[in-house]
Amino acid sequence: MSNSQLPESMPFNFKIGGRKWTKPAILTGLVVIIALLPVFLSSAYIWHIIILTFIYIIVTVSLRTIIISGQFPLGHAAFMGIGAYLAGMASKWLDLPPWVTIPSAALITAGIGMLLGFPFARLRALYYAMGSLFFGIGVLQVIYALGEVTGGYSGLVGIKPLFVGSKLPYYYFFLGLTLASIIALYRFEFSRIGTTLKAIAQSHVVASSVGINEGWYRILAVGVGCFFVGLAGAGYAHYNLVLSSSSFNFMATLWLVMYVLIGGINSFAGPIIGTIILIIIPEFFRDLKMYAPFVNAAILGIVVYLMPQGLVSLPQMVRSWLTKCQNTKKVRHAS
Amino acid sequence: MLLEINGLTKFFGGLAAVQQLDMYINEGELTGLIGPNGAGKTTIFNLITGIYRPTRGKVTFAGKNIVGKKPHEIARLGVGRTFQLNPLFGNFTVLQNVSTSFHLYPRSSLLDIYFNTASYRRNEAYISEQSLEILKLVRLDKVKDELAKNLPHGYQKMLGIARALAIKPKLLLLDEPIAGMNPSEIEFTITAIKKMQQQGITILLVEHNMRILDLCERVIVIDFGQKIAEGLPKDVRGNKEVIRAYFGGERVA
Repeated sequence: MSNSQLPESMPFNFKIGGRKWTKPAILTGLVVIIALLPVFLSSAYIWHIIILTFIYIIVTVSLRTIIISGQFPLGHAAFMGIGAYLAGMASKWLDLPPWVTIPSAALITAGIGMLLGFPFARLRALYYAMGSLFFGIGVLQVIYALGEVTGGYSGLVGIKPLFVGSKLPYYYFFLGLTLASIIALYRFEFSRIGTTLKAIAQSHVVASSVGINEGWYRILAVGVGCFFVGLAGAGYAHYNLVLSSSSFNFMATLWLVMYVLIGGINSFAGPIIGTIILIIIPEFFRDLKMYAPFVNAAILGIVVYLMPQGLVSLPQMVRSWLTKCQNTKKVRHAS
Repeated sequence: MLLEINGLTKFFGGLAAVQQLDMYINEGELTGLIGPNGAGKTTIFNLITGIYRPTRGKVTFAGKNIVGKKPHEIARLGVGRTFQLNPLFGNFTVLQNVSTSFHLYPRSSLLDIYFNTASYRRNEAYISEQSLEILKLVRLDKVKDELAKNLPHGYQKMLGIARALAIKPKLLLLDEPIAGMNPSEIEFTITAIKKMQQQGITILLVEHNMRILDLCERVIVIDFGQKIAEGLPKDVRGNKEVIRAYFGGERVA
């Protein structure tokens, strides 16, 4: 009965003008540190890894936006592929500048997602997952079938870069893009619409009994999710300059799902943390070559076994473990 | 007449759950719907609210034919309902349960939300104020920050009613509102139902408890999906058909 009076006494809580500033202060600090990282780490390879992490954070956070509405898509990487290929092809064949291709690719991806949402809004749970899985496979087949414009099996080359030369401008571009996307999706999730989506996920029968148009809200969630994944894909196309269909296949989707699950599916920060951990840690184990995925498997095993709520529950686990230790000490002293 | 049902029939496969049902509900009336287990009471609710589509028949609400409309469209017309097994948004707080259900009135656009405009904040403030008002009516305002799934059963039932009230219904369908409640909760619920009726809400309820049925102005008895009796509670109680349906024969009665 006392859920509402939980941890008020965290170590760094401070108030100014009646508002709590702990979280905003920590987050601003983190952003400043990330923005200053290239000054200390002047290796193009490390920048590359961090830029990829930025891109995939947008992808996983937007995936979770769809998941909170009770839909579990298994074709999210394919939507990233749609955004990437649209931007890439527009850049290569139509010679459009990145400032046009990136937003328009995102919008078209959102449009495709929403159109697909109409038939898919009738599917639930496993059937939805299977439908989206087949859609994802279909997207790859379209890429192969239109080999003359998409490059087919050998990949799409000849995309114009966003910035010429150094990777540093990319670093700040994607930092800004990721921050903007995270803020937009955060506002979306904790708004009236996000709450409505969570309500639909909990019980669509109750939701429609109070007048919530379930189908439309599910389509909206897919639209918003696909807009941001299309944005990430288009940005990726103009950064990587080479697109290979294998980056957007079913395995790629499974990786995204794993990022979300390991970080914690019930928390907004979950996919961000999961993506960071699962992209950066395996980089330390590159020498293992073909055995490197075992590292990820081990992380997944440990997290699922010890922290079913994902990595975001780690601080809370540590805290409750500490209080447990203190309590047993007290008991021992008392006896 | 607020609600009129003509020749309503629903088949599940070969089984007729509701057969040639005619009934009506007058505006402002408190009507009871009773019948033995499996008589089709909840099916009738689901047919009215659009969860099931009738095989045959007509349902007219406030002069409009509502057959074939989706559940959310019927809710928007002003038909609120609670559920027998009382599903709630369990992972939401009590206040969130009601404010989510306040979905119909003030609207905010996506841009309002992204930029946290004044109109969005005004709408949200209005909604939480109104939700609190409703919670006060059902005396749940003290537990407004609890998770709905942690509430005791009686409170959850009341929360179900509060949620249905949030759409400002003209017609409220209550599916066994006091089942599983303790005596003081029953007392309170009955007062709340009376109060809602005084505020002009038409109520149709399914119930087995005689305390609540005695409040009804009219009782409709159904068995095997067909209406077998209708009238004042005390008349219905003596009806032979009703006794046969509940107890199996005159001899027992």
